[in-house]
Amino acid sequence: MSLASTDTTKSGPSMLARLVARQEVALLLCLILVIAFFSFTAENFFSVRNITNVLGQASLALTAGIGCAIVFISGEVDISIGSLLATIALPLIIIMNDTNSLVLGISGALLFGLIIGVVNGYLTAYAGINSLIVTLGTMFIMRGGVYLYTGQRAIPDDAALDSFIALSDGRLFNVVPYSAIIAIVLLAVFAYVMQHRPFGRQIYAVGGNPEVARLAGYDVRRVKFICFIISALLATVAGIILGARVGSAQHTAGLNFEFQVVAATVLGGVSLAGGIGSLTGMALGVLILQFLSNGLRGLGLPTEWQLVITGMIIIAAVAFDEAKRRRAIGV
Amino acid sequence: MSVDFLHPDETVAVDKSVPALEMRGIGKRFPGVVALDNVDLTLEPGKIHALMGENGAGKSTLIKIMAGVYGKDAGNIRLRGREADIKSPRDSLKEGIKVVFQEIALIAEFSVAENIFLEGYPTGKGGSIDWKKIRADAAALFRRIGFNVDPAARTGSLPVSQQQMVEIARALVHEARVVVMDEPTSSLTPNEVSLLFTVIRRLAALGIAVLYVSHKLDEVFEIADTVTVLRDGRHVSTRPISEHTNDTLIQDMIGRRIENLFPRKRGAPGSKVALSVQGLSTAKKLKDVSFEAHAGEVLGFFGLMGAGRTELAKAIVGFDPITSGTISVDGSPLLPHDTHTGVRLGIGLLTEDRKSEGLMGELPVYQNASLASLGAFARMGFVDKASERKAVQDYVDRFRIRTPSLFQQVKNLSGGNQQKVLISRWLMRGLKVIVVDEPTRGIDVGAKSEIFALIDRLAGEGLAVVMMTSEMPELLGLADRIAVMCEGRLTAIMSRDEATQENILNAAIG
Repeated sequence: MSLASTDTTKSGPSMLARLVARQEVALLLCLILVIAFFSFTAENFFSVRNITNVLGQASLALTAGIGCAIVFISGEVDISIGSLLATIALPLIIIMNDTNSLVLGISGALLFGLIIGVVNGYLTAYAGINSLIVTLGTMFIMRGGVYLYTGQRAIPDDAALDSFIALSDGRLFNVVPYSAIIAIVLLAVFAYVMQHRPFGRQIYAVGGNPEVARLAGYDVRRVKFICFIISALLATVAGIILGARVGSAQHTAGLNFEFQVVAATVLGGVSLAGGIGSLTGMALGVLILQFLSNGLRGLGLPTEWQLVITGMIIIAAVAFDEAKRRRAIGV
Repeated sequence: MSVDFLHPDETVAVDKSVPALEMRGIGKRFPGVVALDNVDLTLEPGKIHALMGENGAGKSTLIKIMAGVYGKDAGNIRLRGREADIKSPRDSLKEGIKVVFQEIALIAEFSVAENIFLEGYPTGKGGSIDWKKIRADAAALFRRIGFNVDPAARTGSLPVSQQQMVEIARALVHEARVVVMDEPTSSLTPNEVSLLFTVIRRLAALGIAVLYVSHKLDEVFEIADTVTVLRDGRHVSTRPISEHTNDTLIQDMIGRRIENLFPRKRGAPGSKVALSVQGLSTAKKLKDVSFEAHAGEVLGFFGLMGAGRTELAKAIVGFDPITSGTISVDGSPLLPHDTHTGVRLGIGLLTEDRKSEGLMGELPVYQNASLASLGAFARMGFVDKASERKAVQDYVDRFRIRTPSLFQQVKNLSGGNQQKVLISRWLMRGLKVIVVDEPTRGIDVGAKSEIFALIDRLAGEGLAVVMMTSEMPELLGLADRIAVMCEGRLTAIMSRDEATQENILNAAIG
């Protein structure tokens, strides 16, 4: 009796077609297009100085974007990261001012970030409250808390430690900003985890189908809980870099930052529905938006227009994706 | 003492004197329902044990307790002679209990190979996932069992039957001592079924205890060594299959004899054309389909997998777009071609996929039933809850829908009762034509005859019933006329008197 009975699956499309169909490749082409366009149209755009500057500016969103993408992939959202940026600057700056120690300051900030991650994660994963509501709540609470503490004035970084300031303007070999290197290293580590460690795949599985993940023996709640902690800690790292850049703790720091990150993450093909997307995609999304905003400024376009254009691009990108998906499943 | 399908040579001999799994006095209650009451089940290594029972008999609950999805309220479980405490799916998997659920439990975005190893990724140096091994082992496993599918394919892109095979294959990696299959053939092609049976026999030969849950008597007679029957959450019998006949099994399952599975109470169909379909084609499947259905008639559509029955069902109610042709309900054309117009003209679909296209599982019974007729209960734009519930209660009584209350979430009802809720939804709306697609999928013997009686009653009340089915007995037992499809075309329409299994199958092959 022949056992080979099921249909032979059709041989897939060609290598090239498959490559172009990959989201990341399409995004990379977009990024190259954006850079090429502004290189010809905007003055001083295509220079080592400008491009490394953009990388430095993008480092905040890249770092926090890792956490945002991971939480998205797990099937949840975290919009508290902007407020977290402002909040962790308080322990950071205050401890450094008191102790003159960068290590203690950063430890304090990370401890605070950890607590916020635990709160967000616990309320979402274990108490079962919708993550949009939870993180909207902690977003307001933290923003209000910082405002209550600082009032209108900023708390200046009186310690002014060299090592701390280096996070803001230091460059490796005088070329690449340290902040960009931190972001790239974190990105590489987490991209590896997401693709090549069982825990990373568990996050995809949990976001892709929590029921299936549970039946496969995964602790769905624990996985989501940890994702929120990762997100808060990475936002804390971004907050430390921002603190170095502005040299103070102030209540307006990181305002609307969460939406920039969410926008870039979605542009990068990470689905809010969970289980879909990659950190590489997210990073390309961040870079596209950052180069776009830098280039438009170079063309002399006011910020208002940048907002309008960014909004249109995000909707167009997601609509394009949706159309592609529909064609693929033949609806 | 473990068995690994991939590496049978490394298998340590199984001690066949100790049961692989013993469940004693298992009890489980849900709000308002006793799902299991003092149920015993013993699975011997190397034996294929069938578990049968009607809708709501407690088979799924028992399996879910085994799998750690539900906790038990009473009783104990012993694995290979020692007490086991199964609190979560993780515990169950660790004990080597592999459950293949009826619903596809795969991550659609993952590759087939990754899904095979979802329960435990092979890792190499430093704990990194060994992707090479995953692909190679999946390919080797598929070769072993003769299952021809690309391990690198995206799982969601496969047809349901192949996804089901992937799930079955997943039960074979790692160490399995007990393999449970819940209605594994419900979406398989005949070839795949024979492949599955070969795999099951090999599992048993390796010393694995197999629990096979099915409604299909012929399958159970073919594959099982022993049969346990549950009824209303209680253990009825456990006997070697050789002591059973079709009749004794059915009797154990329903506690009475089914005199007539297809009770016909309705009269002859009328001559009034309720539905007229002319030259219907769709982009993907249907080619020039024309037929008429009369008021009071059950028109059965038969076809093999992929013949286009579901596509036809969805096209004629306005759900899926068409490229050419006309559809008229009671003489009025279905224009524009959408479900809103369809329902307004009086044509509705009872879907084959209750869960994703029919029910809103989280909502209570009464809201599911009244969904299509909210307008009728509206007073000044607000739904009059009292008259809505009264109307639904009326249907619950008439159709004997077994639910603790109107407020029960519909997902907690059994398949047969869910189907009745959906039929109520359409009757309440006052349809002229109802299209039913595989009305008894996932519903067992006793409840099936109730669904058949309901369909008979629908036609008796003057509706035209267009029934898509792949079950020959259902077709011959219920339909007034039989239409046969093959590859998107209508190949024959015959009266019940002309129809035989043979000429139906001939037309289905084309």
